Amino acid sequence: MADPLTARLKQLIVETLHLEDIAPASIPDDEPLIGGGLSLDSIDALELVVRLEKEFGIKIESSEEARRALASVAALAAYIRERCDPAKVPF
Amino acid sequence: MPHSSEPVRVAACGCLTPFGDAASTHLALMRGECALRPVGVLGRDGGDMVPLALLPGRALDETSPPDWLGAVRRMNDSIPGGDWGSPGRPVFVTSSNFGVGGLYALHRTGEHSFAAWGAPPTCTERLREELGWGPDVSILSHACVSAHLGLLLASRAVSAGLADEALVLSFDFLSPFVAGGFHSLKILNSGFPSPFRIRESGAIGLGDGAAFAVISVERGDWILSGQSLHNEMHHFTSNRSDGSGFARCLEGVMAAARGRRVWFKGHGTGTLEAGRLEVSAAEGALPGAPIVGWKGSLGHTLGSCGLVELAIAVESQRAGRTPGTIGGAGPAMGASVAIEGFGNGAFDGVVCASNAFGGAHAAFLLCHA
Repeated sequence: MADPLTARLKQLIVETLHLEDIAPASIPDDEPLIGGGLSLDSIDALELVVRLEKEFGIKIESSEEARRALASVAALAAYIRERCDPAKVPF
Repeated sequence: MPHSSEPVRVAACGCLTPFGDAASTHLALMRGECALRPVGVLGRDGGDMVPLALLPGRALDETSPPDWLGAVRRMNDSIPGGDWGSPGRPVFVTSSNFGVGGLYALHRTGEHSFAAWGAPPTCTERLREELGWGPDVSILSHACVSAHLGLLLASRAVSAGLADEALVLSFDFLSPFVAGGFHSLKILNSGFPSPFRIRESGAIGLGDGAAFAVISVERGDWILSGQSLHNEMHHFTSNRSDGSGFARCLEGVMAAARGRRVWFKGHGTGTLEAGRLEVSAAEGALPGAPIVGWKGSLGHTLGSCGLVELAIAVESQRAGRTPGTIGGAGPAMGASVAIEGFGNGAFDGVVCASNAFGGAHAAFLLCHA
């Protein structure tokens, strides 16, 4: 069964970036989000970060930290679990 | 190919920073002083504390009329000659943001007087009236190479005989709207900038800045040559990762610098990737040239930075001392990065470079006539 946070993140990526042709479940857990198969760029990253900060109440401090957090869906999930109020993480 | 122009002369130049004029700014940089202070990114609305260098007594919030106007008037009073904006004496006004913060202030407050300074044409028209210029005023904006674009077009105007002399005036004053934009990109954060230093995370600071240069064919102690502009047209916020854009731009200035011993005033905002690419390109194009960057003290003065730093470079050459690269600690990105200031008596000139969003690059060579 899919991890609820990972599934939520994939859904959020598709919604935020209007990736209408992509099914959330088809996004691999370990593929790079920036410059990978989704072809996301720094502007997409900006939009995602704004949405993530709002939804999970986290603070991403620098562009390098954002890049590390967005290394993959799995990396993003781990990043959020480390920093987020557990009450905001889907389970 | 990069755009370029014939050599012209700088008959006069000057700048305005939180330290004062070019001479005061040069002295402060030589002393290693930092104008950046932690300021709430949203002005009176607070927000995260980020490093900003504001003119003394100025708050980040917009006022109507702008509270920077008096300082620009005083700088204008120091520009030699007159009749600017009259036939044969055009003015090129350049800025990255003009008074765009006024539009945000209008949105926040509903006060319509903010709109008068909010857009490039209205802002420039107000400036023209305030500073007593005639109608021959051009408005130019190309992000953080705006000042270089103004210099190039002014140079072409005087070289082609379309103008006797030309005034380039460049400015950018910070506002919550502008600071907030950089903050949302996460490059303006709580960290202070350390240009050309290897760190885990990059950070920039932003600064108020204004400057001018009078461009002439015959008059002036400083020769401006090898002016080069190159745009990668790669991505809105990114440079090509191989650094080819930086290298292409410097090709335009290399011929002018050939056979001369120069130092290199880099853009150096404090972002990591761009800093690394710039150092690599400068070391490749100008082997042995010491590299300095001043935005670790002044912050990034955005569209005005090319002209602000030209005035400081001229002052450095006049004074015989070049300020080093101020800000932070850690290993330099290249052996040519000069952390400490140095005597420049043995140098024939300085290559000044700036970069901008959109992969825009600009450079020129400045030498004593």
